[in-house]
Amino acid sequence: MKIWIEKTSPWIGLVSRLVLGGVLFAAGYLKVFTLEKSQMSVRAYELLPISLANFLGIVLPFAEIVLGLLLIIGAFTRYMALLGGAIMFIFIVAIASAWARGLTIDCGCFGGGGQVAANETKYLQEIVRDAGLLLLALFLIRYPVTRFSLDKVQK
Amino acid sequence: MTKDKGAPKKDNFTRNLVVAVIVGVALIMLVPTLLSKQSDESAAIPALASVEDGYGIALNGDLTSVPKIEIYEDFQCPYCAGFEGLAGSYLEELVAKKEAKVVYNLMTFIGLESLSAANAAGCAADEGKFKEFHKLLYANLPNKENSGTWTNEYLKAAGQGVGISSQQFSSCVDDLKYANWTKNISAAASKANVNSTPTILINGRKIDNKVELASLDAFKAAVAKG
Repeated sequence: MKIWIEKTSPWIGLVSRLVLGGVLFAAGYLKVFTLEKSQMSVRAYELLPISLANFLGIVLPFAEIVLGLLLIIGAFTRYMALLGGAIMFIFIVAIASAWARGLTIDCGCFGGGGQVAANETKYLQEIVRDAGLLLLALFLIRYPVTRFSLDKVQK
Repeated sequence: MTKDKGAPKKDNFTRNLVVAVIVGVALIMLVPTLLSKQSDESAAIPALASVEDGYGIALNGDLTSVPKIEIYEDFQCPYCAGFEGLAGSYLEELVAKKEAKVVYNLMTFIGLESLSAANAAGCAADEGKFKEFHKLLYANLPNKENSGTWTNEYLKAAGQGVGISSQQFSSCVDDLKYANWTKNISAAASKANVNSTPTILINGRKIDNKVELASLDAFKAAVAKG
């Protein structure tokens, strides 16, 4: 079993890195050219003071792009996975809270965002997707040594 | 040389360099963006724009004893076009009869064509044709956002369509004279916590679009309620 994990985890880790990094990069890239929209979608959660929500609306897309790129190239894999996992956890909490409070918003994860019709909310899908990504991050935190990574392991 | 203890250090130097470049470039893009979001008080503003009403175009701006209706919209937003179709003539009537103060806050978050359109609407306000221009643009909303339809040529032709023929209007549209004014509107709207369009405030109360925009009568009732 231990040998099996040693053999396969670098490959699973590679896939995890590419999926988690790719999703983060895409999410950031799709928002970074429409920052006002990004700010609106953060405000739509009604969780943060307006000024902080506006600040986050600008910073988040940039942070997602950086985090995504670093995961894709495999630099500081464990720390980046930790950050990625933390972001996913926060997203899950925020989406669940919007759902619980009866807001009808789009998560704004890949652009878009803001109010939508009550029958157009996709809270469950959004949470399941982010939970899946969180699992990938957890895997990378546990097994940060992956194939084709810039991290060089001292043997 | 290849397998000695110096090797890992050298490899991580490459990694650290790559990381530094990525983070550095991101910061170089991010920091000016964060700083540029402040509003510019020296920006040129069109006729009827009211600084105290979030830089919006205020019709009957000097009336105080009537209901104030604030409309946050984006020219490329289909629901805003829907609202114009539903209540545009009614609002015009209220303005003509001096029964309401109506403020149009032209947001531009959907993209560059929203900016061109809002700028041109500001130029039209200078010519006293804001409402006509506003109506015409919504009536001709393209099916797709930023489809390349609303060029400056198109907007100038639209100006002619509502009877504007001045050279001043053309250069105002071409020069994006009021681009910074639209940024001020956006900044004010974000401070006012406007998260979607159309957002409509009646005497400062955000109305519930699902209920109070369900029909013209519902909207009229909301205005009457004040």
